[in-house]
Amino acid sequence: MRHAGFTWHDGALLAQGLGVSLGLFAGTFLIGLILGSGAAVVRHFRVPALGTLLHTGLELLRNSPVLVQLFLVFFGVPALIHQPLTPVFAAGLTLSANTAAFVYFIAVAGLDAVGRDQVEAARAFGLSRIQLVRHILGPQALTFAVAPLVGLAVNQLQVTSLVSVIGVVDLTKAGDILNLRTLRPFAVWAMVGVLYFAAAKTLTLLGNRWERRLRAHAAPLGL
Amino acid sequence: MIAVEGVVKRFGAHTVLGGVSLTVAPGEVVTILGSSGSGKSTLIRCINGLETLDGGRVTVDGLDVADPRQLAQARRLSATVFQLFNLYPHMTVLRNITLAPELVLRRPKNEVEAQARALLASVGLAGKADSYPGQLSGGQRQRVGICRALAMNPRYLLLDEVTSALDPEMTAEVLAILARLATQGTTMLFVTHEVEFARRISTRIVFLDQGRLIVDLPTDQFFAADGGLAHPRIRQFLSKMAPSSTVAGAPVSEILA
Repeated sequence: MRHAGFTWHDGALLAQGLGVSLGLFAGTFLIGLILGSGAAVVRHFRVPALGTLLHTGLELLRNSPVLVQLFLVFFGVPALIHQPLTPVFAAGLTLSANTAAFVYFIAVAGLDAVGRDQVEAARAFGLSRIQLVRHILGPQALTFAVAPLVGLAVNQLQVTSLVSVIGVVDLTKAGDILNLRTLRPFAVWAMVGVLYFAAAKTLTLLGNRWERRLRAHAAPLGL
Repeated sequence: MIAVEGVVKRFGAHTVLGGVSLTVAPGEVVTILGSSGSGKSTLIRCINGLETLDGGRVTVDGLDVADPRQLAQARRLSATVFQLFNLYPHMTVLRNITLAPELVLRRPKNEVEAQARALLASVGLAGKADSYPGQLSGGQRQRVGICRALAMNPRYLLLDEVTSALDPEMTAEVLAILARLATQGTTMLFVTHEVEFARRISTRIVFLDQGRLIVDLPTDQFFAADGGLAHPRIRQFLSKMAPSSTVAGAPVSEILA
């Protein structure tokens, strides 16, 4: 049985897979960032029922495997609503919610780290809650949260590889296809690994630069 | 007018304010004296809405601070200077001062900035507009805290032990500014341990003891032997806090003797 060698098409396949992985990561991380920090603000202001509900839900998401969540959404939900979900939609939904859970706990810690005294000053001066978040809590919480967020981003980028099992043609799935065709697993998976590494390393470097910039402004905070 | 009527505040089983009544009319400088834990700071916090009341009523120019909407209005009328300055550490000195006037009073940015710079110059901090609070000394920070309050053009200035965290030299810096404000007719409610200073600038002095207001007198009567000093609790307090304070030219310690 003969197998084909590598062709230029394989490069295109990997590049396409990488694009899907990066796109999925960027989209779900952004949504997770918004939802997670939103939930943290709700908790911070002790909104009665909603705060507890969100906390419980996100606690469940943080403490269960992403693969299980993915199966639950892709196989479980369609069985419940009698409506199939596309792999990309299920992947996007799961990763967004999972990211939100981790962002939530980072953001809660960041908000709690901002001194109560300043919050009281801002309230006594008549700032609304939205103004308080935007001008006092947000910027400082972000300074506290940036390092863990960069770490989370690098991790979530790699977690996207799980979506290959439900049929999303991401970088891992592209590698899988290539491997089946060429039967040269070492070369293929080394290449896929290097591409993930390059993406993660770039993300880390960008994140560190962002962190340095934030910290330069926050130097007087004594961080 | 700030009107405090029978205010009760409890923290758990502990009653911090047990029915305190007090008024501050425009133009007055009212000092609250009392030992630590007597409820002085809590009283200020009940006026600016940082504590919820367990009883009684606080109004600022008729606005009830227990009502969220009226509280928002009331907070535009008074401004607080805090014991630990409570500046925003991530903002420049200038931004610390201009934030609330811009966001809350919706005044134009250039007008507020001009006022902020003038205020900073008036307290000897003209060169510090672009510094961060962390780069200033305690006395400088508190002067910024005063500018931040004054930039609100408040009808009432609430001062919560504003010199307690400062060394004597820095205390003098801050008190000099407050004395000037007092002579300019700024209405102030002043919680302090600086008895001598309070005596110089106050129109009235009230004395809080264990959450109860036991004396509310014009300043000269407060320090008169048949006025505030007739109270054993106040004599005791003054002999500890201001052993050198004078009554009619004679040190309080001599009168107390």
